[in-house]
Amino acid sequence: MALPQELAQAIVDPKSYSVREVVDEAFRKIRATAPLAKAELEGMDPFWVVSRHADIKEIERQPDFFHNGDKSTFLSDRENEAKVKALTGGEPNLIRSLVSLDGKEHKDLRGIVFPHVTPRAIKPLEDAIRGIAREFVDHMLSFNGECDFASDVAFLYPLRVIMTVLGVPQEDEAFMLKLTQELFNNADPELNRARAELTPEEALKSLWETTMELENYFKAVTEKFRANPTDHINSLIANAKIDGEYLNHRQMMGYYIIAATAGHDTTSNTTAGAMWALAERPHLLAEMKADPSKINAFVEESIRWEAPVKHFMRSAVADCEIAGEQIKAGDWLMLSYQSGNRDESVWADPFEFRIDRESNPQVAFGYGVHVCLGQHLARMEMRILWEELFKRLESVEMNGKGERTISNFVCGPKHVPIKFTAN
Amino acid sequence: MSQPGTRKWRCRNCGYILDEALGIPDEGIAPGTAFEDIPDDWYCPDCGSEKQDFELLED
Repeated sequence: MALPQELAQAIVDPKSYSVREVVDEAFRKIRATAPLAKAELEGMDPFWVVSRHADIKEIERQPDFFHNGDKSTFLSDRENEAKVKALTGGEPNLIRSLVSLDGKEHKDLRGIVFPHVTPRAIKPLEDAIRGIAREFVDHMLSFNGECDFASDVAFLYPLRVIMTVLGVPQEDEAFMLKLTQELFNNADPELNRARAELTPEEALKSLWETTMELENYFKAVTEKFRANPTDHINSLIANAKIDGEYLNHRQMMGYYIIAATAGHDTTSNTTAGAMWALAERPHLLAEMKADPSKINAFVEESIRWEAPVKHFMRSAVADCEIAGEQIKAGDWLMLSYQSGNRDESVWADPFEFRIDRESNPQVAFGYGVHVCLGQHLARMEMRILWEELFKRLESVEMNGKGERTISNFVCGPKHVPIKFTAN
Repeated sequence: MSQPGTRKWRCRNCGYILDEALGIPDEGIAPGTAFEDIPDDWYCPDCGSEKQDFELLED
């Protein structure tokens, strides 16, 4: 079944994601009328749009049948993919990171950091993270009742947490934030490298320059941590050996880059989206202050609500059937986590932010062997921030119009102007 | 209902299936080990979730 052109266009266009309701409505129609259908757009290889929660999980649970790295891991047109291959010596992704790897290579690389980010392993970090959270709550309150919660708090707190865990000095945080925003927000003139509308060719050039700047930075990180190993994540990456060999250049750079970018941008987007939801729903703050035991439900609903990674792509390895559709070997599939998290067959009132859900099996972190490596740290740091914030915040409301990033990949609110009172 | 040592458990967080009959030899969990006999500090090999986050799959 073919997806109607206007729906296919809507879910590909980065501008659609700057208005949440536009994308939500497109996916609502897709789930209702063509939940697993093929999008055929000029200049792009055709791809299946996987919109339902159950189908996303079914595909993610079969990593041997649906590969991450055979084609581009995120939406890309043919021309772009050809240029990426020319730049990388034949690889479909500019950066060779965990999200683009399969099989043994993925398992080996994931295994370097995985034991250090389990719930038990990160528990000792709780006090240090609470200290950072208090610092940023104080910082917010210093604005005397008005701030842009996205840029003044949500972008900065997860950045400080992850850079501390990675072993990146505080003086480099602004640099890391700038390059992260360039990498994920290339379609947004306010945040991309050129601070301008870009042609596809300029956009790729810009991404490549950002990637090279990150690689130059991380070359020195490898030297530093090989000379003096520590228990920071970047030191683990620098010193890891697979089958007796250090990671190769692209593996190592990909690992540093994904940890230092996706490790905070996703949490920042979720935190900013949660504040936006809170500021529009005065009853929520009252409920959270009255019953702090609802904090985990609040955090989980924030993650469902924002779904900061909008999609990942998979490629079928063999012919198979999913939800009655015949998928052929080589077919490309778009897993929409935003759509999966609004699936009416899983959630009552999926378009409402509710903290009274009996269960919340959101798929924003993905599912299966590629499930987000940092998910437990993300949950913990969000819980701690909101625990500290709810203690101090007396009221909050929007103070103007919020704005969302122009991007179809990793994105969320870029401006959340609020007015607040605190005790 | 299946007997201990033959049941399957699913991680609620990532969908990993622990099949008691197969165990996880790489992690020192022998085939046929009942879920209850797996050490409490064991965690999901795919996502790190703890034992309490697993649910029994009914036959």
